[in-house]
Amino acid sequence: MSADVQLDDVWIRFGDFVAAREANIHIKEGEFFSFLGPSGCGKTTLLRAVSGFLDPSQGRVLIGGKDMAGIGPNKRPTALIFQNLALFPLMTVWENITFALEVKGAGKAARRKKAEELLELIALPGQGEKMVSELSGGQRQRVAIARALAAEPDVLLLDEPLSALDLKLRQHMRTELRAIQQRVGITFIYITHDQGEALTMSDHVAVMSQGVIEQVADGNTIYNRPESAFVASFVGENNLFTGTVSEVGRDYAVVDTPSGSLRARHAQRDGKGQLAVGDGAFVFVRPESLQFAEERAFDNRISAHIHQQEFEGNFWQVFFNVPGSDKQIKLSMINDGRSVGHDLGEEVALGFNADLTVALPHGELAAE
Amino acid sequence: MLAYWKNFFRKHGAALSLFLLVSVGFWIFMMIILPQAFMLDFSLRANVPPPKWGTDAHHYTTEHYRYMLYGSAQSSDSYNFVDLSVFGRTILAAIFVTLIDLALCYPVAYYLAHVSRGGWSRLMVMSLIVPFWVNELLRAFAFKIMFGSNGIVNDALIWVGVIDQPYDFIRNSVALYSGLSYAYILLMIFPIYNAVESLDKNQIEAARDLGSPWWRIHKRVVIPHAKPGITSGCTMVFMLTAGALAAPQILGGPSSLWFTQIIYQAFNQAGNWARGSAYAIILLVVCIIFVLLMMRVFKVKLGEIAR
Amino acid sequence: MILTADRVRKFFVLFFVIGFFIYLFGPLLIMSVTAFNSSAFPRMAPFECFTVEWFQVLANDDKLVEGLRNSFFIGIGVVLLAVPLGLAGALMLTQVKERVRPWYYTIVISPILVPGVVLGISTLLFWDRIGTMFGASRESLFYDGFFLTIIGQATFISAYTMLVFISRLQRFDLSQEEAALDLGATHVQTFRKILLPFLKPAIMSAAVLAFLASFENYNTTVFTIISESTLTTFLAGKVRHGINPSISALAVIIVLITLFGAALHEVLKRREAAAAKETIRIVKGEQAHRKRATPFMLDPAVILILLVFAAGLGSAYLAGTVGVTECKAQVKAEKIQRTQERIKQREARAMFRNAPAASEAAGQQQIQSADKSERAGVSQFQSIFSTGNLQEQAGTGDDQSEAEAPETESEESPPAGTENFNSIFDPQNLNKQVNPDAAQ
Repeated sequence: MSADVQLDDVWIRFGDFVAAREANIHIKEGEFFSFLGPSGCGKTTLLRAVSGFLDPSQGRVLIGGKDMAGIGPNKRPTALIFQNLALFPLMTVWENITFALEVKGAGKAARRKKAEELLELIALPGQGEKMVSELSGGQRQRVAIARALAAEPDVLLLDEPLSALDLKLRQHMRTELRAIQQRVGITFIYITHDQGEALTMSDHVAVMSQGVIEQVADGNTIYNRPESAFVASFVGENNLFTGTVSEVGRDYAVVDTPSGSLRARHAQRDGKGQLAVGDGAFVFVRPESLQFAEERAFDNRISAHIHQQEFEGNFWQVFFNVPGSDKQIKLSMINDGRSVGHDLGEEVALGFNADLTVALPHGELAAE
Repeated sequence: MLAYWKNFFRKHGAALSLFLLVSVGFWIFMMIILPQAFMLDFSLRANVPPPKWGTDAHHYTTEHYRYMLYGSAQSSDSYNFVDLSVFGRTILAAIFVTLIDLALCYPVAYYLAHVSRGGWSRLMVMSLIVPFWVNELLRAFAFKIMFGSNGIVNDALIWVGVIDQPYDFIRNSVALYSGLSYAYILLMIFPIYNAVESLDKNQIEAARDLGSPWWRIHKRVVIPHAKPGITSGCTMVFMLTAGALAAPQILGGPSSLWFTQIIYQAFNQAGNWARGSAYAIILLVVCIIFVLLMMRVFKVKLGEIAR
Repeated sequence: MILTADRVRKFFVLFFVIGFFIYLFGPLLIMSVTAFNSSAFPRMAPFECFTVEWFQVLANDDKLVEGLRNSFFIGIGVVLLAVPLGLAGALMLTQVKERVRPWYYTIVISPILVPGVVLGISTLLFWDRIGTMFGASRESLFYDGFFLTIIGQATFISAYTMLVFISRLQRFDLSQEEAALDLGATHVQTFRKILLPFLKPAIMSAAVLAFLASFENYNTTVFTIISESTLTTFLAGKVRHGINPSISALAVIIVLITLFGAALHEVLKRREAAAAKETIRIVKGEQAHRKRATPFMLDPAVILILLVFAAGLGSAYLAGTVGVTECKAQVKAEKIQRTQERIKQREARAMFRNAPAASEAAGQQQIQSADKSERAGVSQFQSIFSTGNLQEQAGTGDDQSEAEAPETESEESPPAGTENFNSIFDPQNLNKQVNPDAAQ
């Protein structure tokens, strides 16, 4: 069974410190939902409010439409996978996995059977008698998942469970997690500071910063249509131009910057995020959206000096100095077997189109 | 406050919360605070036989404390030299023993922690535990054997030719002070060893590298680092020595008394429980003052002393 | 050499450390030796005969057996009280508010710093008053030596056990508790299935610690035990009323037991530390090397302790049963003989003065050795030498080499060995020494 999760105007305070403010989210049942943000942004706090380890100072947490106020973590239909996994070191693998059944008073035979099933699911058949300490990092990961699934939760909560693994294993586990989620069909709520994890696995992502949920959308939208300067600068790489709005249209804005007037997409929204003529604004454009302009026509065209070129195999990364900024901008181009075609120090024209450029009001930027 | 306890119960469940509260409550109130409070109360009451306790005859009085000072409940003409001198001697001797132990233990602790190496050092440290766990009475007994008139110490001294007649170590309190130093020496060496051992060897190397002589290294680097351990050791040794009963009973000469022995006599021989309590309170107060003094002078927390 | 001062200092420190360890173990060693000496007064030298009779004296002492039994039951009682109290105290420490914590800690740790006699007195008075308040009879719990002693000792022993639990709890990963709760366990289940197994090694070492501390406590017990007796109060009474080697024998047993207990405690602590390392490895996500902890009884240290223990007891028993009576008889005989020799010697001297040239070679020797012993200033020596010389004179006075054998022997040996040297001059020994020489 699966359940939806609703955060209804949730605030969480620790004394004067506000760990999460005004969180309004509806996570549909059977969804893979991620909270993405830098450490300390309040995402773990929200997760703990869902799992029942702390109560919101204000607002409601609903699971399956039911208000969870006053219901302890051991009574909620959730199971949490801890950042350090919190496997029980004094128990064998199968005892770990079937702990939830043990505390419900299930017989040993039933627990054994369930353990075999779950070990099959996590591709560790026949390893039940081992101690946790004898397993590798990835295997422990899977045991932790199995242990949580054995509780038959409606919602599975995962608190950066992959952060302790090395890169390769992490990438492998992403695929596996997604596959497991699709097999069991329950709601997954996933906490991470790794945007790669969030974007690859999730149906929807909530980007958080300093206790505030900045944007909730699917991965594609988050990447291509960021709604705040923080989201634009935190998710993926982005070149930043700073300037003043000189013109606002129905779905675009023109921003005057030291590199010239740049035309960018600016969706009309109600309330926050609306630009007006004369406002300060950020213009973001992704490195892969930049091109050497040559003679072709582009909505925006700037001139820049080549500072450095880095060869990364499948990509060339080219860094430029632009007027009016001490920050370099970056261009990524696919390696098609030829060189970049320009020399260091050379002045070149770069072009990019307005629909791949975003204008946003000033706001907090992600730390680099 | 109510919210705190509500949360406490929610967090631990009823059974566990009850276990915690009842156990800790019983320990703190029924075993620590109330007995001391009752003893204080008792020491401030007249000495009457048990059947009269709680009656009017059992009224409040400071006579037992006055007795300690003047040797009489009424007059204040002369001082109670017997008890006061025993008290003073006990405190001074406890301080003396503490200093002796400190002088003995610091070099050894430093040696074990930083000079000796590897398994040998570990073995030595482990072997310290053995005398630590041998009964206090037996340690005192061992000293009685050694310092007896036919004991090995006298035999050795006579053989060397220092003396030609057995020396009465017991009557002259030498046996007592040696026995007391011996009895609690390990409570000095362990804290100092633990503190010195946690010092980064590189700090000593660095100081030596900068041309500091050995005594300055100790003064400026090792001792400041080991301060909590030294304080802890000194406090424990002082308290235990001042409160020792077994060693003075066994090693004390016929004419010399220890303050605890006076308390013991008040209870077991004179049957004057009230005076015994008053004297026990005095001992307790001295110990509390000593701990506070150590905490103040050496600027350490209580948690660093007792562990 | 440039570093002379440094070297001298190092040498001095080493000397100091060696001296310290002698100081530490010497008294215990001397006491242990006296337990096996047949001398009626506990002494190491002169060592008369190896005997275990003092152990038998002990075994027949009903009061001792009773005290031992009482100490044992009180120890068990203290373990049963102090371990849960210490555990609760340690758990509570993690729960009380930040602001209250120092106060709480000060209160629960204070019994360690209060003199034992004060704790004993206050316990005695308090329960007496409580008993009076409820009008309890003199036979009730409040006046019971066992109950009071257990309570009195547990007051401070709980603080010891608490410290053991605190140090273990500091390594506890709180997310384990949360994980169990999250998986649907109740609080009690979490406590029983997660926290208690984690604390198991600490519980065991706290129990050993509590038992040892109770077993050897005197200061508190002497006030609370009232009319009963424990091992320590029995011991104190015995030591104060005159000493004899049976106390040393008891000491040997207690030293052995405490050795065993201390080693056990050490092993438990080591295992706990190892387990903690394991946990850290697991948390860190490293692969552990060891499969599973060896069963406790198979720990090499435990086996070693048990072996040493058994070997010590066995050899003591064997050695003790063989030849004690003969040896004692011999010592007695030697004593008598010595007295007689002394008389004889005096007579002989008197004879010398009267007739200086009875036998020239032997006479010279006699004077030499007599001079020597006089210079050494140990009167007993006279009799030793004269014994030998007299024998020489009587038996093989003519044979130069044989006569010299005991002489050289005694010159090389330190004068401190007094009566022990009798055995050298024992007729049988003399033959042994002499015969190889003669064969040469």
